[in-house]
Amino acid sequence: MLKRLIAVLLVLGFIGAGLSLALASGGTGNSRKGKYLYRKNCRVCHVENGKAKELSPISMTQAQWKTTFDARDKVPCKAEWAKMSDKDLGDIYAYLWGHAKDSPSPAKCK
Amino acid sequence: MAQTSSRGISRRGFLKLAGAAGAAAAVGGGVTGPRPAQAAGGIKPGFQSKYSVCDMCFNKCSLIARVQDGVIQKLDPNPKFLKSRGMLCARGNAGVEQVYGADRLKYPLLRVGERGEGKFKRISWDQALDLMAAKFKQIGDQYTRCGFMFMAGSDMQSTFVHRFAEVYGSYNTLSHESMCLIAGTRAFLDTFGEVPIPDMLYTKYVVMAGANRFESLVTPDSMDLMTAMKNGAKLVVLDPRYTKTAAKADEWFAIKPRTDMAFMLAIAHVLISENLYDKKFVAEKTYGIEQLAKHVKPYTPQWAAEQCDIPAKDIERIARELAAAAPAAMVYPGRRSSNYTDSTQIRRSYAIVNALLGNWDRPGGLTAARVVGLGGGIPFEAPFYEKNPEDRIDAGKATLMFPEEGSFKLARDAVLEGKPYPVKGFFVYHTNPMQTAANRSKTVAMLNSMEFVVTMDIHMSDTAWMADLVLPSQTYLERQDPCSAQQGSSACACVVMRDPVVAPLYESKPVFWVMQQVAQRLGMGKYFDFTIEQFREKQLAGLAGGMDALKRDGVYYNPSKLYGVYEGKIYKTKSHKIELFNSRYAEMGLEPMPVYTPPKPGGFARMRMVVGRNAVITQSSSQNNALLAKFQPTNHLWIHPDRAQELDIKDGDWVWVKSKAGKQRIKAKVTHETRPDTVYMATGFGVLSPGLQNIYGKGACIAQVLNDDFDSITGNMAMHETWVRVGKEAA
Repeated sequence: MLKRLIAVLLVLGFIGAGLSLALASGGTGNSRKGKYLYRKNCRVCHVENGKAKELSPISMTQAQWKTTFDARDKVPCKAEWAKMSDKDLGDIYAYLWGHAKDSPSPAKCK
Repeated sequence: MAQTSSRGISRRGFLKLAGAAGAAAAVGGGVTGPRPAQAAGGIKPGFQSKYSVCDMCFNKCSLIARVQDGVIQKLDPNPKFLKSRGMLCARGNAGVEQVYGADRLKYPLLRVGERGEGKFKRISWDQALDLMAAKFKQIGDQYTRCGFMFMAGSDMQSTFVHRFAEVYGSYNTLSHESMCLIAGTRAFLDTFGEVPIPDMLYTKYVVMAGANRFESLVTPDSMDLMTAMKNGAKLVVLDPRYTKTAAKADEWFAIKPRTDMAFMLAIAHVLISENLYDKKFVAEKTYGIEQLAKHVKPYTPQWAAEQCDIPAKDIERIARELAAAAPAAMVYPGRRSSNYTDSTQIRRSYAIVNALLGNWDRPGGLTAARVVGLGGGIPFEAPFYEKNPEDRIDAGKATLMFPEEGSFKLARDAVLEGKPYPVKGFFVYHTNPMQTAANRSKTVAMLNSMEFVVTMDIHMSDTAWMADLVLPSQTYLERQDPCSAQQGSSACACVVMRDPVVAPLYESKPVFWVMQQVAQRLGMGKYFDFTIEQFREKQLAGLAGGMDALKRDGVYYNPSKLYGVYEGKIYKTKSHKIELFNSRYAEMGLEPMPVYTPPKPGGFARMRMVVGRNAVITQSSSQNNALLAKFQPTNHLWIHPDRAQELDIKDGDWVWVKSKAGKQRIKAKVTHETRPDTVYMATGFGVLSPGLQNIYGKGACIAQVLNDDFDSITGNMAMHETWVRVGKEAA
């Protein structure tokens, strides 16, 4: 039983490491879809004079976006995040990470 | 202006001429065609002075239009516009002719003959808009929304073309930038984390390579450099041509083309080997000095001298002089960098020397963009089209292409190949790739491969000539435009905007209205459900008193820090420092520091062709201007006397010039103002469109001769990779 538990934990660990690796390189998400999903789901509040802090990809560095997405259960709007699929979140991440302020192509407009 | 002086016309005479043309328009004669009575809004009696923003080049200088009885008499500079130092150049003065020129497009035209045959018929705006909507739908349905490509020039309404493209669902948007500056942009972004604004006014030493700032004007750089030189700054110009900038410089070196990187690496070698670089700055703010020191060790001045045709002692001296003047010293970043297949790396070498001088964020060096706080206007949420392909048509063909700019060269190749997917529609606004893109034959072939091409312009450009539908645009002096933010180093960041100076002539319309109308017809009206006034209000929302200042002064400023902006902040690079060694390049398999490769020989009897500007015309948008055409009525092939003698060519002889891209016929200008291995011709002649009466049948088209290589990192067109043969035309 213990062996089985360790094996499960190991597998989970590998999966976690895989996810981290994917996030580190921008993931495999579709950045263009992510831009659409970000505008639809996030910018509603994260806008100038909005309910939450104004945000755009250039609000953070790639490392900061990674940290945010790694600890997704700690974001203030985690309830909203929970409504989105992993694929949608991956697409949003690809957009934000790919156009972060220290990325090769920082977003031009908000 | 060689042409100007040879014709004995001074700038003062030119300005008189510009004023006279305005007067001619008022009395309804002379070189200016249309009558103000044709203005849709009629004539407003009396004299008025109105602010506007120049559109004769990309600089967008604020101006004051003097208007009598609804007719523009004269354009004056706005003394409150610091970015131009209260100047409006000769081109800007001639802007009145953009409005009253005889070749203005007057109403929508539909092609009825073969493409390029020039047979059009007049149609109504309703017919034009209905046709556009039908074609957007048909091509979008048949080839996906990415099957329609968009290209908009540097214009204050181009934002609406991009907005339309995005809500329509096409990623395939292009600008002129991939024929101009994106390699330089990439290089500085990948070194400093942003594109610098040179602090020319306070600099003490400038090395200018691959730029011609006293002819190809950039505000405030051109004026500030002149002032800085009056104050004792030294200018060293490296250029294979004796440009007007070279003529005004303290020193000019006729550098061998494609060897600028060798010069810069040797400068870096001297700065490091002689311990002349800013050690404190480099230690605190940069990444990779150890790697760079090792990298530039073999690049000695003696080695560079053989590459560049610049004596080693001069390279050493210039390095020492730069260091002595630092941090108020710079290698000027320049603008157009559409030169070579490794232009990004060449410009990286410029950036690296600047970093060693420690001039970033300091007086007389390179400064960061200042924040003026202009908003993005009215936000929108473009729909997502699941049927669309994954990416742009030109994606993946250059390592670090800017996804919002793309590459005209690579997109054109992809359209011609039909891979990875077909693109069959093309909307072109306020730009003219037929004249500005190297290898015109390929542009013709691309346009011929399209099912539907729409061009919107003020006159029948060559691109319009090849279109199915030609739409008459309002000139900048007839338009209401959104606000635009401008950067000007010590001149402060500012905001400008345009309101109509006179009522629009004929049936001309703004592109905003066209996009709005077509969007409505496609059921996308909600994305354009606002007025320009509302858009501007939103843009100015964060700038208290913004609109009042714009109406009162024609320009809005707010205070912002110029130096020391980065104190306590990270640099927006991968290492969060200024990257002498680019860690992202290393990860991607690119050279993390610029590696020099000597230019390949062009082969027997071949010379390299280079592109350049004069102060009279900017691209093709101003070449048909009747006033400017008097100063630059045609172009010539500059060829060195030694080569001319070998080829039995005399000044003024007709010659042919031939590359692998094409052949043109042109008159020779035999001159010492170019190297024996380099020929030059001014841009923008040899037009195909008879609708450009002032220049049709004159000169030769450089785009027909230039080869279309590209910078491997950005996809920037590499125009100087053109070897030509020249011969005297048989009598």
